[in-house]
Amino acid sequence: MEKAVTELKPPLEVQIRELRVKLEGREILKGVSLSAKPGAVTAVMGPSGSGKSTLLKTINRLIEYYPGVEVEGDVVVGGVSAFEMDPYLLRRYVAMVFQTPNPFPHLTIYDNVALGPRIHGLAKSKKELDEIVRWALEKAMLWDEVKDRLNDYPSKLSGGQQQRLSLARALALRPPVLLLDEPTANIDPVNTKKIEEAIIGLAREEGTTVLIVTHTPQQAARISDYIAVLYEGRLVEWGPTKEVVLRPRHEITRAYLKGEI
Amino acid sequence: MAQKRPAEARSDKLFYYALIPFASTAFLIILLTLFVLTAKGLPALEFYGLKVLTSTRWLPNEFDPEKAVYGLLPAIAGTLVTAIIAVVIALPLSLSLTVLVEELAPSRVRDILSSLVDVMAGMPTIVYGVWGIGFLAPILAPIYSGLQSTLGSLPLFSCEPTGGFSILTAGLLLAIMIIPFIFAVVKEAYRAIPATYREAALSLGMTRYEYTRLLMGMIKPAIIAGVLLGFGRAASETVAVALVVGNAFNLPLCIIGPGITVSSLIANQFGEANLYPLMQNVLYLGGLVLLVLGLASNFLGILMLTRVRVRV
Repeated sequence: MEKAVTELKPPLEVQIRELRVKLEGREILKGVSLSAKPGAVTAVMGPSGSGKSTLLKTINRLIEYYPGVEVEGDVVVGGVSAFEMDPYLLRRYVAMVFQTPNPFPHLTIYDNVALGPRIHGLAKSKKELDEIVRWALEKAMLWDEVKDRLNDYPSKLSGGQQQRLSLARALALRPPVLLLDEPTANIDPVNTKKIEEAIIGLAREEGTTVLIVTHTPQQAARISDYIAVLYEGRLVEWGPTKEVVLRPRHEITRAYLKGEI
Repeated sequence: MAQKRPAEARSDKLFYYALIPFASTAFLIILLTLFVLTAKGLPALEFYGLKVLTSTRWLPNEFDPEKAVYGLLPAIAGTLVTAIIAVVIALPLSLSLTVLVEELAPSRVRDILSSLVDVMAGMPTIVYGVWGIGFLAPILAPIYSGLQSTLGSLPLFSCEPTGGFSILTAGLLLAIMIIPFIFAVVKEAYRAIPATYREAALSLGMTRYEYTRLLMGMIKPAIIAGVLLGFGRAASETVAVALVVGNAFNLPLCIIGPGITVSSLIANQFGEANLYPLMQNVLYLGGLVLLVLGLASNFLGILMLTRVRVRV
């Protein structure tokens, strides 16, 4: 018997190997291999239905809650196969932010952020928890706006603020890997800019491994170090952002970047 | 800025007015019920004073209302206690059932369980009643005797059990009967939680237990609503309770002994009440208490439900 993994040592590289995912018989990912480096932002792009969200949700194994799911291949996080780890432990290291802002409406701003650390027992005292909450809100560029009303409910925040709160909630676990599924799709430009700054800050200052699904080539150009393009479940292009944007090798990438598909 | 509503088409207006008499019928019936119960109940209150609500004795007199004593307190207290026992037992069971059906059971088991609970909700209450007489009371009788001999020093278990017919038996039977109602309310609210909250909770590394608890917290108003609606139903249930509660004019201090509820009192006494002056009026007054109790708990319950719809 292999010894169960109880801890990972950041920074964590994410390696996706020949990943195939089927949902109720339909093949969504058809053998994708790709890796995401610590301290770098990898943008995952591609038209709707190309398997971007599925890819992200396979990395933290959320995909297993979908009906009729079959996974082949491997996702290796920090040298350990995600599928051989306790999924609850895996998600402590691999956090996720979703397209729709989703702070829990019945918890205060503070309690939303403190939720993860409380579940995993990361803070030994109230003071320590306060510090984690503050750190996460600062990293999500939200602290200045909410520091005087941490006991308010999220419904009092704007949509963009709620999305930054969702980000802070994910960050409170100090995750070495951060997955973002179109986090700014429904967000105004001002908030988008703040979220982008936050993402870049995490990669540069914390050495976080960031994978972000985005629909806008401009956003990918602004914040990413690498771009991976998916098309119909296959990886058609993967390389440093500048190269992909300036000299796309694949016809599909060219058409996608021009907004033709 | 006052905004002018666009003028409605004439035919729409007509349609609207034409519906009013039909739509208001249900409301009028409630008003009418309130009116009748008040009109018939007031004479009892006038004649006996507040004593009719606070006395614990029931001594009818065929000839002279002055010599009769009618006290509704044991019945009112019995109604409250049996309904509270029912809710306290039914709530955890309904919540467990919701989690089982919504989270754990494979989809086929889930469908079967859901339909079974629907069948429970639709069963005639007399069926529960005879089941209570034939099964529940006999198997509880020795348990009650055991409780009395071991915990008899506690007032709750201090009385002589009479063959399993008791306040507690009625409460248990009511619990079984209201599970489908609490379950229906809680399940609907639980199911309506957008998937993104589920994913958010799971993505934080919550176990199923942890995230189920979190989601239950999210629909707390619906849970309270379910409890209130279930309470209203338990308080108004008649036939099944009348068959197992024992129908003795005792305050429900000892729950393993026989008691009485307002509805079982009315069901048992009304047939002969016309032989006793004013007894009918006392029973109408009981009915009024029951109606007010039921309306209040249902109203509060529905209020909580609108709250959960606003929030989620």
